[in-house]
Amino acid sequence: MMPIWTKSGEKRAVTLLKVQDCHVLRYVSKEESGGKTAKLLVGGKNGSPFSKPESAHEIFKEAGVPPKQKVTTFNVTDDAIIKPGTPLYAAHFRPGQFVDVTAKTIGKGFQGVMKRWGFKGQPASHGQTKTHRRPGAISTNKAAKVYRGKKMPGKMGNIYRTSFGLKVWRINTKHDIIYVNGSVPGHTNCLVKVRDSKLPTYKDCNKNPPFPTFFADGDEELPEDLFDEEIFQFTDPSVTYA
Amino acid sequence: RVSSDGKPPKFQPPPKPVIIDKKTQKEERRFLSPEFIPPRGRTDPLKYYIERKDMIQRRKVLNIPEFYVGSVLAVTTADPYASNKSNRFVGICIQRGGKGLGATFVLRNVIEDQGVEICYELYSPRIQAIEVLKLEKRLDENLMYLRDALPEYSTFDVNMKPVSPMDQEEIPVNKLQVRMKPKPWSKRWERPKYNIKGIKFELPEHKMKAAQKWSQPWLEFDMLREYDTSKIEEKIWKELSEEREK
Repeated sequence: MMPIWTKSGEKRAVTLLKVQDCHVLRYVSKEESGGKTAKLLVGGKNGSPFSKPESAHEIFKEAGVPPKQKVTTFNVTDDAIIKPGTPLYAAHFRPGQFVDVTAKTIGKGFQGVMKRWGFKGQPASHGQTKTHRRPGAISTNKAAKVYRGKKMPGKMGNIYRTSFGLKVWRINTKHDIIYVNGSVPGHTNCLVKVRDSKLPTYKDCNKNPPFPTFFADGDEELPEDLFDEEIFQFTDPSVTYA
Repeated sequence: RVSSDGKPPKFQPPPKPVIIDKKTQKEERRFLSPEFIPPRGRTDPLKYYIERKDMIQRRKVLNIPEFYVGSVLAVTTADPYASNKSNRFVGICIQRGGKGLGATFVLRNVIEDQGVEICYELYSPRIQAIEVLKLEKRLDENLMYLRDALPEYSTFDVNMKPVSPMDQEEIPVNKLQVRMKPKPWSKRWERPKYNIKGIKFELPEHKMKAAQKWSQPWLEFDMLREYDTSKIEEKIWKELSEEREK
């Protein structure tokens, strides 16, 4: 994570996400998947072929791509289908766009109710006998049972969570890095899924996205760094208030 | 003098002056700002490389001079609420923290009997100028104890003239031992964990001995805590000189 400044001198925190060897692996049509839209399977970072069973290697062999560590699905409309085997780059996103980021949260192991659910616990003194971090009562008298989903101690973290509506401030096309506003679930160097935001406020925010994706061997020549309009670029002189 | 022949002695030309080129000698002292050195951790070095490129870009626009904890600086920032829209603060640097673009330094001064500390971000775009009024080092790297010292040690004239450096190779170390206000202090500075050399402790002997109870003498021999930055600094220095030539 890194600080970033706007043109008015305010500081924002930004997370750097690297797009490392992403390829489209397979196209699954609407009828085949049984959902509402077609799906595209996309693979992430290159991994060792020995950590997955041979049956998992078929998808990669079909697409002609080295085995990947992570495979995710994206719901895609019919006009945005991409041929399997095309590489995906950070330039697929543009600054000023809003994005949802999904990842597995940091695993905290078996945790008690105060850390896991934010319960208040009991006071430290004034006669409390051996009760300082316990949940207290778990149900009422009339219920005569404990409801399903009662918040109790258990394994915390290591589950998929999404941060919605994160603004993309800057894109580095040379190293394929996306600068995303705020924090993102997961530890440093963990695998992360970045997707166009599905929040209703950001439905029409993207003006001219590279559709269906950014092709490196196309005619477009992008500069090394793409900045948002509001970001302060370090080549400009210092901020002054007129 | 009488020579053997009786003629006047042979003309001896004066000894050739030895020209010591001070400029080439001065270039040997290299200062690498501490925020360039990446901390120990599992982050990808690519992140630090990209941060360094941004830091160099900013340094090309704003000159960030070499300074240490203990030097007196004057910083002008852009302030939307001030008349003239700019704000100048003079103070002694008591702490330099943070790595990369988020590097900060804290300046302390006593203005009209009120101690004021301001934490500035080195790479913030609101900073318009940083001048070093007095370049010197102190015995410690963290002068937070000046909060509990007598106010005369933290007062610096706001209209101080910059003191020109002596053009020596080494930066002068001010071996000042500061006198403190009576206890209680904000932190127990006599304890060995702070390792402060710049205070003149006027505490009784038994209290100084009692403070040594908290010493951890095994820490200096712990090899896992060692972080050798010499090779990293060499690489970063090469990178910086290449970027500067561009």
